[in-house]
Amino acid sequence: MNQRVTEFLDEFRNTVAECRRFCYAARAREFQAESIATLETLALDIADLKAEMVELQDEDVANCMLGLSLAAKALSCELRMWVALKDDDAALAWDFLAEAQSCASNAIRAHRISDHLGRYVERLEVLERLLFPPISFTSLGMVIQESHCSICGAQYGDCDHVKGEVYMGEMCVQEITRADLAEISIVQRPANKRARVTTIGEGGAQRDLLTWRLVPPSQNEGSTTGL
Amino acid sequence: MDIQQEDFVDVAEKALALGCQVPTGLALLPRNFESAISREELLHESEAPTVRILWRRAGLVETPIEPEGERFPQISEESFEEWVGPTIFVSGALMSQNPAVFSLALGVIANYLTDWFKGIPMGRGEARLDVVVEAGKTRYRRLHYEGPVEGLQELAAIAREVGSNEPEGD
Repeated sequence: MNQRVTEFLDEFRNTVAECRRFCYAARAREFQAESIATLETLALDIADLKAEMVELQDEDVANCMLGLSLAAKALSCELRMWVALKDDDAALAWDFLAEAQSCASNAIRAHRISDHLGRYVERLEVLERLLFPPISFTSLGMVIQESHCSICGAQYGDCDHVKGEVYMGEMCVQEITRADLAEISIVQRPANKRARVTTIGEGGAQRDLLTWRLVPPSQNEGSTTGL
Repeated sequence: MDIQQEDFVDVAEKALALGCQVPTGLALLPRNFESAISREELLHESEAPTVRILWRRAGLVETPIEPEGERFPQISEESFEEWVGPTIFVSGALMSQNPAVFSLALGVIANYLTDWFKGIPMGRGEARLDVVVEAGKTRYRRLHYEGPVEGLQELAAIAREVGSNEPEGD
């Protein structure tokens, strides 16, 4: 890695360490909001450096930048979760936690620089159990008629890109472009934790499964989210 | 880790009945290959294209059952911690003449899954897949595997044993 990248990695580590100090319920909301802004700036710097590395066709550093951007986003989402909880918005807090978990896991897959995040993933899982009640998730079963590779646009399977692998700073995704819904099921361990059962019926009303509050009829138009 | 064995439908006969090509080496069978009445019903697991890419990149040759130019839709039931693979068919000829090919076929899947499960906490990632082995002229056995990625090598060993264990009369 060149000098510039090495210096940037130092800057990244210092910024992340500073922001992680505020990943606790007791920390003041304003510092958490400030840290989110700091991480947004850091994300822009990572994107700039990644673009440079793509230009130079330095795939390893480009992939490393993807790992860093996902790690920064995970931390930012955790901070947003704490802020949302303080703002009494449990549903938003849940979504940010789920996004933090997803980003942290993908950061590990993206590049070896994020290998140490395994413990952070476990921390997020502990937070999930301590901060939120047990949740029922929904999972979509579908028949895929057509899907494409996010890297080159070919029909998925026709090219040599594999989903989950990283190419020049981009993680390959199988983009489903035509599918039929086969089923919706309740599952314990879903692929998408934002797809959850949000309310239950109770005597003609609906109760929010996170806050346990009765939901005003105007907001009561569905019982699942994130599908 | 759990590996279950049971008899499987005559693959060559069923493929012909469905208007498919008869696999002669390594192939992927649709999830509902045994129960389907017509070819239009056939559904691959959603990971089938991924396995095909991995095999192709490793230089492994598949003998697909799909008629030339045809694609079967895929059924997707996504889970965070479980990878549901397609049903892998391995012919008796391949297993007896070049068993290393089958080990390699499972090996490239195992390598891919090792990376895939990297972000799953506390090593909870599990693989689930079936292997259908030709164990005689008209005898086929299905091995159903559920367990950690490391167990796939053991699955390969058991499949080789089943494939080389032709009963008398076949």
